[in-house]
Amino acid sequence: MSDANSETGPSRFRVTLFRVMLIQLLALLALWLLQTRYAG
Amino acid sequence: MQPLDWFIVVISLAYVVWDGIRRSKNTHELEGYFLANRNLPWWAVGLSVMATQLSAVTMIGTTGQGATDGMRFIQFYFGLPLAMVILGVTLVPFLHKARVFTAYEFLERRFDAKTRSLTSFLFLISRGMSAGTIIAAPGVVFSAIFGWDMVWSVVLMGVPTILYTVVGGVQAVTWADVKQMGIIVLSLVAVVVVLLVKLPVPAGEALEIAGAAGRMRVFDFSWDFTKTYTFWSGMLGGTFLMLSYFGTDQSQVQRYLTAKSVDDARSSLLMSAYWKIPLQALVLLLGVLVFVFYLFQAPPLLYNPAQEARVRAAEPAAFAALDTRYRTAVAARESSARAVAKNPASGREAGRSAFRDREADVQAVRTEALALAERVTGQPSRDVNYIIPRFVLDHLPLGLAGLFLAGVLAAAMSSIAAELNSLSTATVIDFYRRWVRPEASDAHFLKVSKLATAAWGIFACIVAIYAATLGSLIEVVNRFGSFFYGSILGVFLLAMIPRTKSLGAFVGLLAGMATVAAVSFGAPSVSFLWHNVIGVVTVLVVGSVLSLGGAARTARSQP
Repeated sequence: MSDANSETGPSRFRVTLFRVMLIQLLALLALWLLQTRYAG
Repeated sequence: MQPLDWFIVVISLAYVVWDGIRRSKNTHELEGYFLANRNLPWWAVGLSVMATQLSAVTMIGTTGQGATDGMRFIQFYFGLPLAMVILGVTLVPFLHKARVFTAYEFLERRFDAKTRSLTSFLFLISRGMSAGTIIAAPGVVFSAIFGWDMVWSVVLMGVPTILYTVVGGVQAVTWADVKQMGIIVLSLVAVVVVLLVKLPVPAGEALEIAGAAGRMRVFDFSWDFTKTYTFWSGMLGGTFLMLSYFGTDQSQVQRYLTAKSVDDARSSLLMSAYWKIPLQALVLLLGVLVFVFYLFQAPPLLYNPAQEARVRAAEPAAFAALDTRYRTAVAARESSARAVAKNPASGREAGRSAFRDREADVQAVRTEALALAERVTGQPSRDVNYIIPRFVLDHLPLGLAGLFLAGVLAAAMSSIAAELNSLSTATVIDFYRRWVRPEASDAHFLKVSKLATAAWGIFACIVAIYAATLGSLIEVVNRFGSFFYGSILGVFLLAMIPRTKSLGAFVGLLAGMATVAAVSFGAPSVSFLWHNVIGVVTVLVVGSVLSLGGAARTARSQP
């Protein structure tokens, strides 16, 4: 990939942000379920 | 440790060093030596970023923290994914397209030489000392566990690291990091698997017991600024800390400046965004499982064997009395843990409450033992750092103890190598080439760079050997470091705001550091994670106001 690809920044950024935040939310949800199930 | 364990340690270390040097190309040019000619693949850079952040303290200290305090430390990393995305659209393209060697070089182009020199100087002081403490922390543990002299522990980690960093530069560091990250993950996974196999209860019951002892509590939503690890300090303070660390600390910036393109640099940072929290969960889970393991297997009263031997010799009667009480309390705790594991739905709360009482009895005896150890040795005990090494040596099957030790050494070496490499870069590019010999040839700078790497390596080893004596000095330097971390981020953010001026940046930096110092001394109970937020905001406000004032004066003075 070249630097030229980064010119499409805003839309790529939105996709990346969405993906990272989705995975972050899933990770937090998994930790929350772990806490709810075992920490009581 | 059996001969096979030592064989695994030696072979893995030798392979990492040899392969790192073998893969280094064009290291006879300064750009090849410091930036790999900006040609490394994103995945190698991404693994290098992760390996640099993961030090031996993570392998020994954080796992121990998991055993004593549970999973809640993970909140510290909640801001990391967001920080990586923000950096991907802000600082990373700026720094990568500026074709700089150091992050601070960018500040001279945007502001002036004094802002660049001050920020680079602050980096050199804090990272120079921290390189020493990164070697010292596992060195102290090795010395206590294996009975080695501290010098040998430091030499074991320092010499091979200095060797491949001096010879191969950033390429050797990065390719070694790739292998070291593999060894680290493999050793962590192997220990977790062994723990699950060795536990006398199934995994679900083990987590039920850990939950009863509070080890599975992850989230703390309280708005308490004195608590270090809460959801909010992690999400807000943590985001700013990670922005500072990954965006302005040369030891990290130099990793992604070696990537082929801006997109590759972004992708390398996003690897941490995806994997850091799961990896940290694995590290803490390992500690939690060791806690459960020692509920069913007699744990030592003191995990530090050297300290235990000294206390036993100096105060035999007191130690024996504590040990007897400890054994009784541990036996009572084991029966209540088994009752929790059976978990009849009707008596769940009663069983958990009884277990917590027995656990408190055990901890009360441990607290007395630690106080006795401190009295005898005259040093703080820091027993938490010995829980995992002691478990590894006493209970892991043949070969796996060696693999885990190789993982700890890999974690230590990867962090040290990145620090030496970046310290040398900042010394040569920001000071020697900028102020001393700007006209010298590439070959001359290369020679000086290798000398600087070796010199910083030797300095770090000396700091590590005398770490115990330098204890308070190191603490002062670390505290001083926390004063400017957020402030430096503030200067970089100011650099991206149009029309901000060099005077605003320089005075803003000083104001930010002074404000954080005032908060640190005036309200010491405020968690350090908030210091970064305070530093950033102060620099942005002071820097913007001064720049706007300057702009207004300039506009008025024009005809």
